[in-house]
Amino acid sequence: MDISLLLQFFINGCMLGMMYALVAVGFTLFFGVLDVIVFSHGDSVMVGAFAGLTFYLLGVYAVPGLPVWASAFFVFLAGMAFVAGAGMLISRFVIMPLRAAPALNTLLATMMLGTVMREAVRLFFPDGSNPKPFPRLLPDWSWKFGDVLLRFDNLALFVAGCLLIVGVAMLINHTRLGMAIRAVAQDAEAAQIMGVNFPLIVLATFAIGSAVAAFAGLMNGLYYNEINFNLGLLLGAIGFSSAVIGGLGNVYGAILGGFVFAFLQVVGTVAMPFSSAYKDVFAFGVVIVLMAIFPTGILSERQSQRV
Amino acid sequence: MPNSRDFLRCSALAALLFTYIGFLLGAEEELSIAAYLLCGAGVVIALVLFDVFSAIERLVQANETFWQVLMLAGTLALIAVFHQDHYTLFLIGTIFIYSVAVLGINVQLGYAGVINFSGASFFGIGGYTAAVFLQNTSIPGSLTLPLGGLFAAVIGSLLLLPVLRTSGHYSALVTMAFALLMKVFLEVSEWLGGPQGLSLPPLEFMGINFAEDIVIMGKECSFYVKYDMVCLALLVLAFVFVRRVERSWMGLAMDAVRIDETAAACFGVNVTRWKITAFTMGNFVIGMAGALYAMMLSYINPSNFTFSDSLLFLSILLLGGIGSIWGVIAATAFMVVIPEKFQVVQEYRYLIYSAMVLAMILFRPSGLLPRKPRSYAMGGRS
Amino acid sequence: MNKVLFSCEGLTMKFGGLTALNRLDLGIDEGDILGLVGPNGSGKTTFFNVVTGIYRPTEGRVFFDGKDITGASSQTVFEAGIARTFQRSRLCLELSIFDNIMIGNFKRHDLGFVSNIFRRKTFQKTCEEEVEKAIELIRLLNPELVGSIHKPVADLSMIDRRRIEICRALIGKPKLLFLDEPSAGMTHDETNQLMDEILAMKSDERQLTIVLIEHEMGIIGKVTTRCAVLNFGEKLCDGTYQSIVENPLVQEAYLGREVTEDEV
Repeated sequence: MDISLLLQFFINGCMLGMMYALVAVGFTLFFGVLDVIVFSHGDSVMVGAFAGLTFYLLGVYAVPGLPVWASAFFVFLAGMAFVAGAGMLISRFVIMPLRAAPALNTLLATMMLGTVMREAVRLFFPDGSNPKPFPRLLPDWSWKFGDVLLRFDNLALFVAGCLLIVGVAMLINHTRLGMAIRAVAQDAEAAQIMGVNFPLIVLATFAIGSAVAAFAGLMNGLYYNEINFNLGLLLGAIGFSSAVIGGLGNVYGAILGGFVFAFLQVVGTVAMPFSSAYKDVFAFGVVIVLMAIFPTGILSERQSQRV
Repeated sequence: MPNSRDFLRCSALAALLFTYIGFLLGAEEELSIAAYLLCGAGVVIALVLFDVFSAIERLVQANETFWQVLMLAGTLALIAVFHQDHYTLFLIGTIFIYSVAVLGINVQLGYAGVINFSGASFFGIGGYTAAVFLQNTSIPGSLTLPLGGLFAAVIGSLLLLPVLRTSGHYSALVTMAFALLMKVFLEVSEWLGGPQGLSLPPLEFMGINFAEDIVIMGKECSFYVKYDMVCLALLVLAFVFVRRVERSWMGLAMDAVRIDETAAACFGVNVTRWKITAFTMGNFVIGMAGALYAMMLSYINPSNFTFSDSLLFLSILLLGGIGSIWGVIAATAFMVVIPEKFQVVQEYRYLIYSAMVLAMILFRPSGLLPRKPRSYAMGGRS
Repeated sequence: MNKVLFSCEGLTMKFGGLTALNRLDLGIDEGDILGLVGPNGSGKTTFFNVVTGIYRPTEGRVFFDGKDITGASSQTVFEAGIARTFQRSRLCLELSIFDNIMIGNFKRHDLGFVSNIFRRKTFQKTCEEEVEKAIELIRLLNPELVGSIHKPVADLSMIDRRRIEICRALIGKPKLLFLDEPSAGMTHDETNQLMDEILAMKSDERQLTIVLIEHEMGIIGKVTTRCAVLNFGEKLCDGTYQSIVENPLVQEAYLGREVTEDEV
């Protein structure tokens, strides 16, 4: 196999990995503070993409001739804010009431919620059951290195994704809010006793995680130039897998997991060129094997059980 | 045998119940269906409010065997009433098969607490097994049922190691990954027909061709009557089997494992053994159901066995009440019939399903007919 | 001289940097009631967990009834004859009293497929016999519970739950019974009552050996034949109740050390 094709695969892998990592960060954050898997998170990604599209159309309609940079900025900001709000509503009305329920109930409830979101977009978004073209918000510059094509928008998205992840990490590790989130993640009860406003922290965490998910959704739209109501299911499963591979509750693990999953898909594509559809069979198969070898993830979750 | 008062009460109840179901199944206009549903819901709410419902539950519990006979008789009567109506008979058969599949999930999750998000995959494995064997070999149709179960159980055993080693969300992920993997695999594998799927030759066993209409006692009957009989037989078998598992030391051991693994191990319960038993038994039951479903549909493709269908199985279980066998059957009937009958909501059915289950989990997590404390005696408690 | 039923040598359990048990040597004679005392976090429950196979010891050996059971699984330990209760009641709340007690009895049950699914008549008969046995046992502790034997445990009070836990541990006829703070969450009177019941039961079953974790020294003095005191995972001393109460090391662990003049 020639080197330029490999490089192209590498670039694709990086883009996918960034997207998965962004989704996985949400899963792992929510699990950290509340010990729940919010499976509708994948559909938050989808809602983010659709919200972005809607805001773009609204923006074009309201302010014709808006410069490209401004509209891209506006779409990202509005989409992320919208999904952050939705995430807060979800945490307030679905997740918090189920705190005392068995883990399975929460998992199923959020899956059902995901279906509600998915179906709502399919049924109520104009012509929602068909794929929608996603606008090109970024200039389509590209550079050619031999046979390798490096697109400017990919590079910009990748850099922005990195910045977002670094931002989230800074927020969690170096701010008062982040300290409160970490405190709740370690011991919600003790944190409350020490004066941490637990419901507020949960809301904040959901806002952050959901905004990051919306970014991933917009990135997905820009990368594939197309979105559909169904994209959240697979992205949710992949994000969940990545978070689990990295060890739930561990932000760096989630990022690692995202890139590992993307890497697996790329390897699947390279190893089985006869049908690229097998790449998911391969990737999920490896996830199952990984789970058998590392039952609590590669960067293992801290385990404590009181008997 | 119950005393004469209980005899009359039970019979009257069963008669009312099945008359209602009959009218509901027979109704064709959406307005009348809506009216029936509202009536039904109103009656149930009234019964619960005036505390009659728990009295009925006690009555049924005390006369368990008799009640089961009544239910069987009522079902047969329904089939007799709709003997020419292909569509309704097909619905009834679907209810039976889905109930069997969810009973399989119930053994896994409801008893041993093994999470299975790939129910539809094992259902599909059973179906594809039946299709492949019926297409390529001369194995009689009756044998493909246990074969479907066997293949589901064997392929399921590939998941045993990761499922046993992980717990909670991690094992949920393993089965979820398997469900997605299976779906993609079925779609891309040309050998299994790819997205077009496979068609099955008409079922034939004991000299009966299942694709032809029959004449019973001078009446023309739809060929689905035959399928319904086989499905009903499978449901009865699954019912008796799961009941007996529940009311035995096996069921108790599984309960102990589900509720508290560590404590169970401290009392000598072999946690691994019971998880394996439950997972394998459940997959076997699901696989059998899948094989029969494929035969009844006579044509299967990957979109019959998606992750959403796995979720549907779990939703039915939760809606009916985890561990509750009658709950499973009632919830299946509800989830299968409503969208099919209500063409208006057909388009919206997944939305309505999921909203309903979500509300259920939030406001009544024990389900419609919650599981009762175990009694080991068969046939009812005095 | 009684025979030694249980002993451990140099038993050590480390969780990362924390040493929960440090080179513990302990011997228990058959028929004893050993009180295990010590401040919170001194390693009492860890000792139970290490012996019953919930944790694998870092070092050391455990012998029971002449066999080496170091690092054996919970299941093996139970089958060898050690049953236990838990500090936080770990009954199956949604199951009935009878079910919960039967969980302690799997050793004697036939768990085979054929006998459970197909031979229902025989199953029914053994089941009725088991109900009789369970009732007999419950009657020893609280006769009032006999009537609600098929009701869920969730409806019971704390003390009744403890009783059911003890029944569950006893029905398998263990040689050694670990009681992990059975008085937790109960009033003083209830504790006394439960201890009397345990003593009454013990007088029926002379061979039974009991290890009891308990905070209240009065109870320890009343119930136990011997005591061992743990502090920071190490054994401070063991002996009769009188000897440990008078031991200055124990007083120091519980009450703190008197500050001597040169330290001031």
